[in-house]
Amino acid sequence: MPADRMHTSPRIHRFLQVLVIAVVMAAVFVADTITGYEIAAAVFYTIVILMASRVLIGRSLIVLGAVCIGLTVLSFTFTSSGHYREGLINTAISIAAIVVTTYLVLNMEAARTAAHAAQTRLLRIARVKSLEGLTTSIAHEVNQPLAAIVTSGNACQRWLAQDPPNLDKARQAVERMLSDAGRASNVIARIRSLTKGEPPHKSEFEFNKAVVEVVALSQAEMERSNIRLTTEFDPDLPPAFADRVQIQQVIGNLVLNAIEAMVNIPTAARSIRITSDIKDGSISLSVFDSGVGLPAGVYEHLFEAFWTTKEEGIGVGLSISRAIIEANGGQIWAESNSGGGAVFRFSIPATLEESGQ
Amino acid sequence: MTTNPAAATDNPIVYIVDDDRSVRAALEDLLASVGLRVLAFGSAKDFAAHNMEDAPGCLVLDVRMPGQSGMDFHRQMTDMGIEVPVVFITGHGDIAMGVEAMKNGAIEFLTKPFRDQNLLDAIHNGIEKDRQRRKIAADAAALQARWASLTAGEQDVTRLVVQGLLNKQIAARLNISEITVKVRRGHAMRKIQASSLAELVRIAEKLEM
Repeated sequence: MPADRMHTSPRIHRFLQVLVIAVVMAAVFVADTITGYEIAAAVFYTIVILMASRVLIGRSLIVLGAVCIGLTVLSFTFTSSGHYREGLINTAISIAAIVVTTYLVLNMEAARTAAHAAQTRLLRIARVKSLEGLTTSIAHEVNQPLAAIVTSGNACQRWLAQDPPNLDKARQAVERMLSDAGRASNVIARIRSLTKGEPPHKSEFEFNKAVVEVVALSQAEMERSNIRLTTEFDPDLPPAFADRVQIQQVIGNLVLNAIEAMVNIPTAARSIRITSDIKDGSISLSVFDSGVGLPAGVYEHLFEAFWTTKEEGIGVGLSISRAIIEANGGQIWAESNSGGGAVFRFSIPATLEESGQ
Repeated sequence: MTTNPAAATDNPIVYIVDDDRSVRAALEDLLASVGLRVLAFGSAKDFAAHNMEDAPGCLVLDVRMPGQSGMDFHRQMTDMGIEVPVVFITGHGDIAMGVEAMKNGAIEFLTKPFRDQNLLDAIHNGIEKDRQRRKIAADAAALQARWASLTAGEQDVTRLVVQGLLNKQIAARLNISEITVKVRRGHAMRKIQASSLAELVRIAEKLEM
């Protein structure tokens, strides 16, 4: 399976890198041992450390540096030819070179990590921003035909209320309403094909961490609304395998929905519970709210375009969420919460290798 | 922008400026169903370029349009000599936008989709306001025309009359005979259509003499 290959190839790559490093290390050790004291072959351990900086991080690099120093000392004791004093100085220089290199590499690595983190944060902000822009333009695109439908409906009523009723004008108004309704659903079809057209960029990621990131983004909103948040994450989840950003968008949508569902209930009763768990090789996320809940019989419409219970809503959030989850090989559904309110759940595949456990 | 005085009428007209064809068509039909005359345009530019009718009117203006936005156009209308009252309609308005529109003198700021009665009320409100504005403007113009029909001598006498001077004083001030003052005063009263001195003074105030 392509997914499997994508998943294992970095491992092979990494193994090869470690192998090369080990070979170079061994070569330096042999060269340093068999050559005389005058030749400071041990300085070449710096190459090992530089190479390893691409594979190892933090503490492992320090350990590697220590091992190199150990090997240098070992070589020194094994070496028997040449001037002992020069050998001692050369060994000291080599050790100093290894220490300095390790230190510099660690610094470089820290800087790189910081830069990477900053970049990721920026990317996420950009994503959130673009999603905001998208919703605004969707709202506009859908609102125009909706406004036209409502206005035509009003006009139609007025034509019919005339004495005698102007049926011709009324019929024209209804025809306009139908064509505008068609136009509105085309907008949604276009958005859905947009999400579908772009194949999800699947990769392995730590599911709980992705959830925490999204929840952190909506923390301020929850505090403003006095919502109590509890999370129950399964600590033993295997990595998920899906498009991380898309899944985060869906989580964000569900959390926002949960927040909005509780606008009209007393502050003391507002709570959101988010849980993650694994079942049959699928990771699932549940968002429980303590809102007014959903009347029976609406569950099958929830994920349809234009279906909304919100006054300000246009009914595209869950429709898009379903498109995303399905494109990622998962499922999304809603149930009523036994403790009042509603539960929205979705499941996505876990990493293939781990799912066999 | 020019007006066409030949076709002056009191039959009100509603202008619609919205870039969305569906919304435009629906609005035209709604207004037609209550018997209002409508002229619809796809952009503020098209509206500004057409010959305004000399009739009381109201402009229904969309906020978000490609090219010039409704808000920007509204701010420039006075400079362009367009004085019809404006009712804003918008797809997604926020409070700040609404406040700004009202500050600039809009009649109403409605968020789509809106209740038809709200729109119709706002439009009637706007038309009524325009009718009053036009009446005041027409009265002032008529008065100005009457004043212009006076000869220079008659105007001089009238100015002094309304200042409360007696005929004798006016005659001395203008260096003319008291008889002439009386004659000119009589002509001026007739031309201005003032039946008493009090009315003449009131008209003079309106003319800002």
